[in-house]
Amino acid sequence: MPPEAASFMGGGPDLSLLQLAVYAVLGLLLVIFILTLMGIGTLPIFFTALLGLQLGLGAAQNLPDPIGKWSKVGGLVFRNMRRNLLRTALVYVALFVLTGMLTLIYTFVTSLVKLTADKEGQQLVILTEKHSIPSQMPPGHERRLRELLRELDPADRPADLDANIMTWSFIGGSTEKGKPTPQNSLFFFALSPEAITSGMMAEQGLNPEDLGSTNWEELLRVVEVVKEDKRHVVIGEDRLKIMNKRVGDTITVYSTNYPGVSFECIIVGAFPAGGRMGGAAAMRYDYLLSLLDEYEKANGKKHPNADRCLNLVWVRMPSKAAYEKLAGKVNNNTAFTPAAKLETFSAIVGAFTEGLKDILWGMKYIVMPAIVCIMCLVVGITITIGVRERWKEMAVMKVLGFGPGQVMSTVVAEAVLIGLFGGMLATWSMWGGVALVSGWAKGAGGGAAFFASLKVPVEVLWMGPALGLFIGLVGSALPSWSARKVKVSEVFSQVA
Amino acid sequence: MAIVEVTDLEKTFNADSPDPVRVLEDLNLEVEEGEFVALMGPSGSGKTTLLNLIAGLDSPTRGTIRVGDQVISGMSESELAKWRTRNVGFVFQFYNLLPVLTAAENVELPLLLLPMTGAERKQRVRNALEIVGLGDRMSHRPGKLSGGQCQRVGIARAIVTDPTIVVCDEPTGALDAKSADNALNLLEQLRADLGKTIIMVTHDPHAAERAQRIVHLEKGRIVPGDERLRLASTRR
Repeated sequence: MPPEAASFMGGGPDLSLLQLAVYAVLGLLLVIFILTLMGIGTLPIFFTALLGLQLGLGAAQNLPDPIGKWSKVGGLVFRNMRRNLLRTALVYVALFVLTGMLTLIYTFVTSLVKLTADKEGQQLVILTEKHSIPSQMPPGHERRLRELLRELDPADRPADLDANIMTWSFIGGSTEKGKPTPQNSLFFFALSPEAITSGMMAEQGLNPEDLGSTNWEELLRVVEVVKEDKRHVVIGEDRLKIMNKRVGDTITVYSTNYPGVSFECIIVGAFPAGGRMGGAAAMRYDYLLSLLDEYEKANGKKHPNADRCLNLVWVRMPSKAAYEKLAGKVNNNTAFTPAAKLETFSAIVGAFTEGLKDILWGMKYIVMPAIVCIMCLVVGITITIGVRERWKEMAVMKVLGFGPGQVMSTVVAEAVLIGLFGGMLATWSMWGGVALVSGWAKGAGGGAAFFASLKVPVEVLWMGPALGLFIGLVGSALPSWSARKVKVSEVFSQVA
Repeated sequence: MAIVEVTDLEKTFNADSPDPVRVLEDLNLEVEEGEFVALMGPSGSGKTTLLNLIAGLDSPTRGTIRVGDQVISGMSESELAKWRTRNVGFVFQFYNLLPVLTAAENVELPLLLLPMTGAERKQRVRNALEIVGLGDRMSHRPGKLSGGQCQRVGIARAIVTDPTIVVCDEPTGALDAKSADNALNLLEQLRADLGKTIIMVTHDPHAAERAQRIVHLEKGRIVPGDERLRLASTRR
């Protein structure tokens, strides 16, 4: 949904800073609780994996040296980890929770960064009113924009203009005049029907990949039906369920942002449940324009919003350079009255998320490094305790002839194993868990629609183990170094 | 021929500090091959330091130490580590077995550093444990063994590499009288049957009496004329 559409849908709850802080803390505690449960739930996998590796090493012990004998030394690492199962389990769960939190923050930050990043190639640009939020422009702005597009060199404009431009008008309304309730209200995008399947609304989930071939075929059919009559509308399945309506029903929608205008709508199709359009609706833009004309005829004067009925115009430009040329023509063009501006979609989202800028900075440069430091400390302290407990054993190993590097590597290996499995299972569980929830939400629809759009970046699948490896290496640096420096003569120190 | 030869040995701790501690000075000692020597002396006399130096666990400030045909006093830490693997067997007061390993695995540990086949390792471990009378306890962990049995595993670990010398650090200090007697019998047997050279630090005069020779140290020096040389046959 375009960011500006939110302003037409009524504001959210008016939260004070204190309320936000309370919600944030409660949310954080809930996340930690869920991650802890997940960590505990994956403990059997962790210990089974360790056992599997140990058994593998055990089998390798019968192979010819040096594999055989170093497998025996490697086996010592696993046995050390099993000495205090509770401590090993607690460290694993702690690493799991912290890695899980990192994954969530990373997902949030990268999603926003992707949305707000400027692209060099083909990109979506948006015409909006320059000095007013929400943007409310006269319909003529679209025509003027088309004229400017035609003035561009062929290489700088979309090859098929009609397939790469769309208008957005936002219409709120209810089926009971003057008595809007959550059950009888709905929100329309008024647009050209072709835009629904031309790829301009692909970001809204209206594309063959997200819908699947069956739903996509059905949508193509529905769009053809919409073209037959201005009154034909498409409503999301989630919204239909709430309104207790079905395809084929006829409804009258009394507009709340176009007072005095009511729409006689015939529901000819439904957007699939669970997707971004599952709770919204679409009608033809020319139906809105024709009703505004009828209003003028009936009342002898223009509707107060007749010259403010175009909220956005989207154009898919072939390149960033082409966008900049068009923006140069639009931004200082007096033919646009009121003044309009052309921005990239990412810039609009960026402006919309400007308030989150400091929070994002804090997450990237304070919270995430702090979590990594805490993870290193958790591993470091645990391994230090283990080294302290086995101080004499390490000295004995050195007395028997093990080199400092060999003693050190047994300590590092222990930390790396815990870190690796902690990082790997946490990120893999998060990725898999979110994919499962998202898949379930797509099927469930209704209030689960939000979860359907969740997606953990696939790169966490290698970043988690890599982070665990890093944490293991850094966390064990000091204790393994002190193990390396164990003085062998200390073994005899108790003798006077 | 002496298998251990210590010449003009000096060990000073904190040598560069304004308050250096000289633990051993002008110490000369020879230990014959196949000899069982006990080092005795009051606390702080330097016997542990001397044992550490002979075993290659520390380096002297001055003087030379020769063990077999190698002068170890100038070796680096890593050279000493390699040398110890082949040439020194250690028996500790508190056994110092790794609790997560079985008796056999504890005995096998020093062999992992030597070039030999797995089969040869297993055979050596079995032999060493049978010598100490624990052939039937190979898969037991230290927690399941008595103190005396643990010490016998420690002795098996000390001899499994067939070292040039065996150094013992109060080997009976943590044992009851019977177990201590058994451990000392075993050490004597190792010397008599296998010709092992044994150097033992002890506070216990009864344990020291089992050695062929007792070396008394006091204030970092060997007390002259207080060495007793006894024939092995008198003890057997």
